[in-house]
Amino acid sequence: MRDVEARPKRYEWLILLALLLASLPLIVGFSLLMLSSFSTEMVTNLDPGSFHFTLENWINLFQGKIATTGGIRVNIWRITLNTLIVALGVAGVVTLTSTMAGYSLSRIDFKGRKTMMVLLLVLHAFPGVALIVGVYLLYRLTFPESTDFVGLYSFLYVILARAALEIPMSIWLMKGFFDTVPWEFEWSGIIDGASRITVWRKIMLPLIKPGILSVALFAFLAGWQDIIYVRTFLIYQTLATFIEANIEAEYSHMPLIAAAGTFYLLPTIIFFLTAQKLLLQGYSGGIKG
Amino acid sequence: MRGKVRDLSFFLSPMIIMVFLFYLIPLVMTVYISMTRMRNWNVDRYLTEFVGLYNYDRLFYMFQHDPTFKAVVLTTLVFVGITLMINVFGGLALALATFFINEKSASSYRLLWLLPRMSPIAVYSLVWYYFFHGSEIGTLNSVLMHLGLISEPIPWGQVIPWGAWSIIIFVNGLVGVSFGMIVFTSALNQIPRELVVAARVDGASSWQISRRILIPMIKWHLLYVLTWQFLSLLTTYPHLFLLVQWDLVNRDYGTTLALYVFNTAFGRGEQDQGLAAAAAVILSIIGIIGGFVTLKVLKFERMMRRPRGDF
Repeated sequence: MRDVEARPKRYEWLILLALLLASLPLIVGFSLLMLSSFSTEMVTNLDPGSFHFTLENWINLFQGKIATTGGIRVNIWRITLNTLIVALGVAGVVTLTSTMAGYSLSRIDFKGRKTMMVLLLVLHAFPGVALIVGVYLLYRLTFPESTDFVGLYSFLYVILARAALEIPMSIWLMKGFFDTVPWEFEWSGIIDGASRITVWRKIMLPLIKPGILSVALFAFLAGWQDIIYVRTFLIYQTLATFIEANIEAEYSHMPLIAAAGTFYLLPTIIFFLTAQKLLLQGYSGGIKG
Repeated sequence: MRGKVRDLSFFLSPMIIMVFLFYLIPLVMTVYISMTRMRNWNVDRYLTEFVGLYNYDRLFYMFQHDPTFKAVVLTTLVFVGITLMINVFGGLALALATFFINEKSASSYRLLWLLPRMSPIAVYSLVWYYFFHGSEIGTLNSVLMHLGLISEPIPWGQVIPWGAWSIIIFVNGLVGVSFGMIVFTSALNQIPRELVVAARVDGASSWQISRRILIPMIKWHLLYVLTWQFLSLLTTYPHLFLLVQWDLVNRDYGTTLALYVFNTAFGRGEQDQGLAAAAAVILSIIGIIGGFVTLKVLKFERMMRRPRGDF
């Protein structure tokens, strides 16, 4: 429990101030980016003179006019949709796989269970970079001949490959959630003659909804924020590769890229405002840093 | 008994398929590629050209003679070492600081520090691109010039080695501290509050409480974060990728071994997958050894009791 009752209040403001100072670069950096998206020029050097309010960046972004001159256009909605497909796909695959495997690791005793769990931990610690060369070779070797399926294939592959990175930790997390459910709930179902699969689907899954939600949320964010896998495997552009490509492009209007960045940040902000509890509880072992 | 086999194959098959397809097969393929002359992903031509340990020899030779590769190895050592310390002690400092303030401010600060981890990598890199930009549009340069500390903008990322190192350590360190912060916060919340209250009543200060009670009680978690973050830092590169790509930091002194593998295999210019795969195999060996040492040191197996729900 926290230190509340007997704590002197005198020094609290000192800690608060220290925390504020330490957080300053973060606050300044992100605020300037968002501010710039509403300005005619980038506001990065703390010079109030460079800020002139405008909505033009956002309007141009949604119309796909990425340069102020010339006719360069992109379909930003299509790019957003691509990003969304990857994120939702990763969330779906990770959630399904981890609720299934997590249940059996938590509730069924079988030979090799311990080994499997140790192996999952090692897999999570396993360097993703060591895999990507091999994963790409598999991608090339299984690439479809017919051009009709190329788009579908690259979506499917990037979703599965990215989900695979999240799976070891999500299974561990899910197992933890199953562990908290009292055994009696399940027992009553099995006495009544239901199979393990029915029990899992009808009794266990509804009981651990918060767990499923947090695993799905983090898998979604992992897919949404990814840049390495989408740029390696996906033949279409996502918001990440869009920003990457336009930083160096001569023609791009930087405040517009700031608007794209802010737009890309939206799901994160929405989750911040709505799912604070899930985020804070969450995922202590899940993501690498 | 047959029912059990059926159940297990149902529940475990998605996981087994995923692990097989995206861990096992790629691992074998990486080891194989490291022994071929594969370049520019010319699969048709080079897939069967077996060269044995040639790529490993080249790596060893580069390690001895190539200044670029030496810079990468040195950068990896410095980056992992310092960022690890920042992650562990920064996370500890944040967890302790938020432990001693009111709950409402505490959770806002914790959320704020999750921002680097939660925001898309491209946006996060964009933020620091402008923050550390080498001209007067860079926020840091501008602040320092307004304060009169410098008269000319400094191209931070091109000041080698420490300018480039500072940026990659700072940017990645911010992502890592939230991991320690969350683990330590949950560990601190499990300490019986009587201990803290009793110490308070006896007149102990927050500093004394931290040193004598809180930190000793979360030793296991300190060790856990230390080893876990070590493995992560050794092998992650996405947050560094764009900083190098956009030339914010020096190419050689901003590249760690993990990023080197990625850029050698997929980057601009000459791609050399055989060499990249060889470096990846070496990284994997370090990672696997590190993983097993972690398991032994932390005695993870004790956490794995027999499941209750079986009969």
